[in-house]
Amino acid sequence: MSKSKSKTKTPSSPTLKDWEKQASRELKGKATSSIHWKTPEEIEIKPLYTAEDLEKLGYTETLSGFSPFTRGPRATMYAGRPWTIRQYAGFSTAEESNSFYRKNLAAGQKGLSVAFDLATHRGYDSDHKRVVGDVGKAGVAIDSVEDMKILFDQIPLDQMSVSMTMNGAVLPILAAYVVAAEEQGVIQEQLSGTIQNDILKEFMVRNTYIYPPAASMRIVGDIIEHTSAHMPRYNSVSISGYHIQEAGATAVQELAFTLGNGLEYVRTAINRGMTIDSFAPRLSFFFGVGMNFYMEIAKLRAARFLWANLIKQFNPKKEQSAMLRTHCQTSGWSLTEQDPFNNIVRTTIEALAATLGGTQSLHTNAFDEALGLPTETSARIALNTQLILQEEAGIPHVVDPFGGSYFMESLTSSLIKEATKLLDEIEKLGGMTKAVESGTPKQRIEAAAARRQALIDHGEEVIVGVNKYQVENAEPVEVREIDNSAVRNAQIRRLKKIKKNRDSNKVDTALNAISNAAENGEGNLLDLSIEAIRLRATVGEISAAMEKIWGRYNAPIHSISGVYANSFPDQKEIKQVRDEIKDFAKKAGRRPRIMVAKMGQDGHDRGAKVIATAFADLGFDVDIAPLFQTPEEVVKQAIENDVHVIGISSQAAGHKTLIKLLIEVLKKENSEDIVVVAGGVIPPQDYDFLKDLGVSCIFGPGTPIPGAAREVLVAIANKV
Amino acid sequence: MVQNKLPSKADIIKGNRRAIAKAITLLESTRPESFEHGQVLLESLLPLAGKALRIGITGVPGVGKSTFIEAIGLFLIKQGHRVAVLAVDPSSQLTGGSIMGDKTRMNELAQHPDAFIRPSPSSGILGGVARKTRETMLICEAAGYDVVIVETVGVGQSETMVDSMVDLFLLLMLPNAGDELQGLKKGVLELADLVVVNKSDGKQESLAKTAQSEYSKALHLLPSSKNSWTPQILRCSALEKRGMDKIWEAAKSFRETLRNSGEWEKQRRKQTGKWMWSLVEEGLLLKFRNHPNLQKQISELEKAVESGNMLPTTAATKLLDSWQTHSK
Repeated sequence: MSKSKSKTKTPSSPTLKDWEKQASRELKGKATSSIHWKTPEEIEIKPLYTAEDLEKLGYTETLSGFSPFTRGPRATMYAGRPWTIRQYAGFSTAEESNSFYRKNLAAGQKGLSVAFDLATHRGYDSDHKRVVGDVGKAGVAIDSVEDMKILFDQIPLDQMSVSMTMNGAVLPILAAYVVAAEEQGVIQEQLSGTIQNDILKEFMVRNTYIYPPAASMRIVGDIIEHTSAHMPRYNSVSISGYHIQEAGATAVQELAFTLGNGLEYVRTAINRGMTIDSFAPRLSFFFGVGMNFYMEIAKLRAARFLWANLIKQFNPKKEQSAMLRTHCQTSGWSLTEQDPFNNIVRTTIEALAATLGGTQSLHTNAFDEALGLPTETSARIALNTQLILQEEAGIPHVVDPFGGSYFMESLTSSLIKEATKLLDEIEKLGGMTKAVESGTPKQRIEAAAARRQALIDHGEEVIVGVNKYQVENAEPVEVREIDNSAVRNAQIRRLKKIKKNRDSNKVDTALNAISNAAENGEGNLLDLSIEAIRLRATVGEISAAMEKIWGRYNAPIHSISGVYANSFPDQKEIKQVRDEIKDFAKKAGRRPRIMVAKMGQDGHDRGAKVIATAFADLGFDVDIAPLFQTPEEVVKQAIENDVHVIGISSQAAGHKTLIKLLIEVLKKENSEDIVVVAGGVIPPQDYDFLKDLGVSCIFGPGTPIPGAAREVLVAIANKV
Repeated sequence: MVQNKLPSKADIIKGNRRAIAKAITLLESTRPESFEHGQVLLESLLPLAGKALRIGITGVPGVGKSTFIEAIGLFLIKQGHRVAVLAVDPSSQLTGGSIMGDKTRMNELAQHPDAFIRPSPSSGILGGVARKTRETMLICEAAGYDVVIVETVGVGQSETMVDSMVDLFLLLMLPNAGDELQGLKKGVLELADLVVVNKSDGKQESLAKTAQSEYSKALHLLPSSKNSWTPQILRCSALEKRGMDKIWEAAKSFRETLRNSGEWEKQRRKQTGKWMWSLVEEGLLLKFRNHPNLQKQISELEKAVESGNMLPTTAATKLLDSWQTHSK
């Protein structure tokens, strides 16, 4: 290739040296290295790439549809059939979600993707006392097959591919889906879709697990086994990098940890005596796509290359076994509360990156998701974003349009190199399960998140409308309101009815069979769950039958320190806050003490962990409360540790119910002197409601932490 | 306002959580006025303290201390006891506050109404960790907690300090015998009244059994100078909450043995002596550091030593000399 190029070169055509000179002139004498850009992955990006770069890499051309699939898993890619538009949605009751799904399908959506509420994720029925604030909030409440049947009412499950984001309560939920289909007259062989079933990343970042790691891995194995035998069109695991990125990981970390998790599932199945070709073609992936445009395109290309190579060691006979197919979702973290219409633009750019990277299906976020749950209008715009890319912009006509680009191939290659290094490290630790147990992946992700937060807080990394180009009075945006207690009451009524009308002896027998199988390690838990669901056992009961044996797991929480303060570019600002805190400590006799807590079943703890480490770096004494607390538990611990402040982090819309309860309990315990502050995804129209309750400060996404720390100090001073 | 009200003796005796917590804050306070209030309160509560079994727990990082405390704590509560857990962390950072995640690692125990867990921040304290822990322990005892567990973080100096305030010293060990004896600071094993091999579960159970017999041998080689009790080596799985009954049996028989021999009282009285001395040391250091006439010299000499212009011994002699002159 280079030969033919040099042949066509005329003697007068400029060389790279000529370019350097010209560039340096434009830079007023500075070297071109002064405009190199270092990505968060520590990959250095030059301003210009040439054929020379590809030569150095030893780049060889590949084709789409052939191993290692860097250019795409299918030969024709979108030119043959565009990516599947698959919007993730679910809220409130099964009835409401069902009508929302049917509207979207009529508007051009091709597949379904179900969001469950956090109670369901964690295996609790809606009547459980620990889920008062969670029912119907961040997804749909499903307690039994009756709910599942309503959810898919008039949606033919033999024709519709359904993706379900479920990792904790995978068994009862997959079972309820199978039985709901069965009662529609659809057999398991006909079902197509995906269950996330990726428990390892839950232990690392998302925290919606129920059981200890070993027991959880058994469940994953049982599901792979059952689906490979009975559900040939069904993806048994969706190995997810999305949540890893959302927690703050770099592209390299997302790649290595996700593929590492994938390897672990492959080994689990192989250790059970399955052959690679019997299940690997049904493993799918799920990546997040953020604002780092070129990097995200390269990431998807690198992922396909790496997976094809990783699978080689298992000697697959089928091409599809080594073929990485993926769903993508635009980043929720990149959405801002401030000037939220900007989010439409962000999502469009991210969607473009996902499609240029060759995703098989895509979810685009609604612009108001940093404020609350999407409305009908915002959901329509999100869907239209993809329709416009497909039908107006002409994106689908060409396969891997970046293929062969000097820059893109170089970037892809750098990512492959860096991710391989990290993957090797993981292998040395003994694989991802071991690595996750040690807590290192999570700590690395948290360090990356803290570093990034410091750069954003200082304005080094620009977020339009947040730390630059802010508007004074952006027009308010309407968000969807869920009457959480109405949903809960409706669910409780239905639960009562189901329990009254079933044969409870048979249900008990079926549940006992599950407990026994959990205890002695024999039998397939999915088979047994399907049987129990048929008899109208509930999601909570099936989960409890296993909890009885395995217990409910609490992942150890590790924290990091120093990263935030050391990454902050302006040490003067850090010192100022530290001095203020020192003054406070002198007067008060101790440092200001804050307990960072999350209530309810929401396990998204990036915000809480970043706040904890940054506040400690600034001089606060920080208590981290366990996850999944009730308001009573938070108050007990806050009193015991005698903190000045409780900081509530809320991402899943439970704040109105739970913070209200928290303040009531504080009153009851005669401890209203404890300041309450809140942060996370809280719609601005709820601010007054919370302030009236007595919440002192509310910090939306994008609040610089040093400023927040000062505000908290003032709030404490005002209370004393 | 509510906050400014001092915790009352009556509330603490009643076991009011808020009052206990506020009293501990007073003891930890660097504000002379609050500290004074704390001492008065403590003095009034002293006659009610002293009835608990005080257990010190240590072990290398990763041995499962928190999981163990959760398991034994819940076991003891089931037996009708009330359990207080205090954490000692003598390591101190230069800047910044502490991050305390203790409760995340003892989730179930933290939620229990019969448990009181108080992690204490380490930074910014000038000595005094031992004093504060000891005094906090007494407050908890006066409030009716009859088992007080003091957890030390890390392995090193803190063990001796904790040993000087507890009745029973429990060393937690990993099931891989050889490596660990190497890693242990000399002397820690000699302090132990009970050695418990944790993680005796699943594949590690046989390893744990081997470790148990290895440790027994090693322990026999040590001179048992502490008291007439022969240290025991036990096994448990904190994760699966197994083996707690045997550990508790051993603890009770330890108490019995020492009470019968009269060593129980002797040990406690000896500890009171040490307490006095640690108060003297702390008081001296505080007075020294805060002495108005020394401030200038301290910072000058500190700089001189750090920049390598003066030997630390010379600087120390100078400071002590001026201290003597000024305090005459």
